[in-house]
Amino acid sequence: MQTTPDTSETDLKADNLRRAAIDKSVKAPVLFLFTNGAFWLMLSTILGVLAAIKLVEPSFLDGCPYISYGRLQPAHINALVYGWGVQAALGVMLWIMARRSGQELKSGKSLLITAGVFWNITITVGILAVLMGKSTSIEWLEMPEFTWPILLVCFLCYAWPIARMFGRAIRPEGFMVSTWYILGACFWFPWIFITANVALHCLPGLGALGAGIDAWYIHAVILLFFVPVGVGCAYYFIPKITGQPIASAQLASAGFWTLAILGGWTGMQKYMGGPLPAWMTAIGAATGVLLLIPVGLVGLNHHLTALGKHSAVATSPTLRFVFFGALFYPVSGLVLAMNSAFWTGSGLQFTQSWYSFQVVSLYGFFSMSVFGAIYYIVPRLSGCEWLSVRLIRNHFWFSVYGISTIVIMSLVAGWQQGADMNNPEHWDQNFMNHVLNSRPYVVSRAVAWALISFSNLMFLLHLLLMVVGLGRRSSAPTLLYSHHDEHAPAHA
Amino acid sequence: MTNFRTFILGLAASFGLPWLCLIVIPALTYQQLTPVAYDKDADGLEGYYPPAPINGQGQLVYIREGCNQCHTQMIRPVQLGLDGWYKGWGQDQEQRAATPVRPTELRDYLGEKYALLGVQRVGPDLANYGWRAPAAAQLHQHLYAPRSVNDWSSMPAYSNLYKVQKIQGPVSKHALVLPKKFGPPSGYEVVPTPEAESLVQYLLSLKKDYPVPGQSAAVAAAAEPAKK
Repeated sequence: MQTTPDTSETDLKADNLRRAAIDKSVKAPVLFLFTNGAFWLMLSTILGVLAAIKLVEPSFLDGCPYISYGRLQPAHINALVYGWGVQAALGVMLWIMARRSGQELKSGKSLLITAGVFWNITITVGILAVLMGKSTSIEWLEMPEFTWPILLVCFLCYAWPIARMFGRAIRPEGFMVSTWYILGACFWFPWIFITANVALHCLPGLGALGAGIDAWYIHAVILLFFVPVGVGCAYYFIPKITGQPIASAQLASAGFWTLAILGGWTGMQKYMGGPLPAWMTAIGAATGVLLLIPVGLVGLNHHLTALGKHSAVATSPTLRFVFFGALFYPVSGLVLAMNSAFWTGSGLQFTQSWYSFQVVSLYGFFSMSVFGAIYYIVPRLSGCEWLSVRLIRNHFWFSVYGISTIVIMSLVAGWQQGADMNNPEHWDQNFMNHVLNSRPYVVSRAVAWALISFSNLMFLLHLLLMVVGLGRRSSAPTLLYSHHDEHAPAHA
Repeated sequence: MTNFRTFILGLAASFGLPWLCLIVIPALTYQQLTPVAYDKDADGLEGYYPPAPINGQGQLVYIREGCNQCHTQMIRPVQLGLDGWYKGWGQDQEQRAATPVRPTELRDYLGEKYALLGVQRVGPDLANYGWRAPAAAQLHQHLYAPRSVNDWSSMPAYSNLYKVQKIQGPVSKHALVLPKKFGPPSGYEVVPTPEAESLVQYLLSLKKDYPVPGQSAAVAAAAEPAKK
């Protein structure tokens, strides 16, 4: 399905028509999710700038209790996870699944839009509630208790048609690795979400075990929802754009199943040495390191697939983003392993390296892959091409430099904080050294988020222009570094 | 992948096992966790462990302000970190404690809906803050204007938990004593709201290193029972 060699011209035409029909059927919900997601992304990065500033200079905008660090940071992360992450993921999942299974979205489009609207309203209310002082302080579930059933139902409204498409189109001989990942994400997210929310909101109170379950929830959502969507994107777009088949079916299969088997065990090592039963944190630490296996397998497979075609990275915006995202997959695996292993983790525990892991997996890996997908999908849905090469290029470079800065700086800061914390000479000192030593890293984080916010503003505007149909009318896609596109007139 | 059913079963089985072992069974067994009685002869103490609950009303304020973003409430064993040796991080407030503070245990958080173990350690650990906390008045000053205590502090000022009001008659006996730079304009005073009061009560109630029944620490502490 990725390549259609030696088919006659009529077949090709029919194929194109079929694809156009599929695209048309999912257009409204997918574009809705992307634009709203891009809005949340921009908001989240702005909140990230503010939170970093408040961490260095708490008297910034003094007298406004709504933006103290303890409220801003959760709002920033929740906007990134639920506002941008899940929405963008659902859009990509729906489109890839429809295309890969060759199924049109038959009915229920208005239901999908309604679910999307409710999702956004709930997130808005939830994040405002966090800022107004209704936070639950349960990491990644800070939004008030009433939000989770609504979010769950909205998610299921999307998951159901996606799973149906998979079920209807499955071919025993078929090799559908990107759809495995997407179905997995569809299937696991509600399970994880229900488990964590029931345990933390409905059970009478789990004390320290609740904190462990929350840490598990964060890791499970990253590893069994965001990672599968990102990897699914990479498995779909890398072969599609380089024109090469996926290098190895065995590697793909092994990479998928090892992730599935290991992903659910990890997480509780966040509280290593804490009150949780020791076997729980130990098993989390072990799997956190073992997850390097699926990471390596997938990385190797992508590398072999793209071998010899790296020049396409220079021209195709989609491939460039996806490729960069795929590069960051092994990096996030390494950061996870470093945070998990007791050897390094005892120093990195409770430091900024925890933030580094969230940013590298959610932004460096997942979001970059999804940006690539969006650059591919949106022109096919809106019927026009991206307006400006420069905007895309800026978006890419600002994101790459910004994310790399945050990830590296937070890791180094984590190492520094750990060294300070475990420095025997500090045993009778107050926290002055710790606070002053970590300050420069947070300043660099603020600057990096500001750069990223700027690029996201451009991305949002670009996307909005595309969605309202003001893109370039052309049959040639917008490619980077190809001279006839550089000078293409921008039809408004 | 021969068919849809097998595939879904595979997904369910691979995730179901950790879900069952790591979440469901521990969550159900946790419900059976109850306080343990001290053995008068072995431990030298009476009553139940953990002996004193935290102040739940104040914890709500702690939760809603997101204090756990920067403060942990967890003491690690010495092989993982030096938490236990930090001055005043346990009951013993001596210059140099004879033994490290014991690491926190599952039962220390009994009765809390959700243990606030913390996200990052930007500020000091608060697991046993109740032992080393200053008097309530100074704690209020720290919460209202952290930089009046430490000028390098990156802690937010929780002025929203305090009321600046015009002095009518004698100065309120709850009014905060602040350095001039941080104080209200003359003729005004800063008084804590009930929320600030309960937050302070909560912070003072944070004592998670009570002796564990049957452990050597309990025996050692028996010689010198908790006074504070």
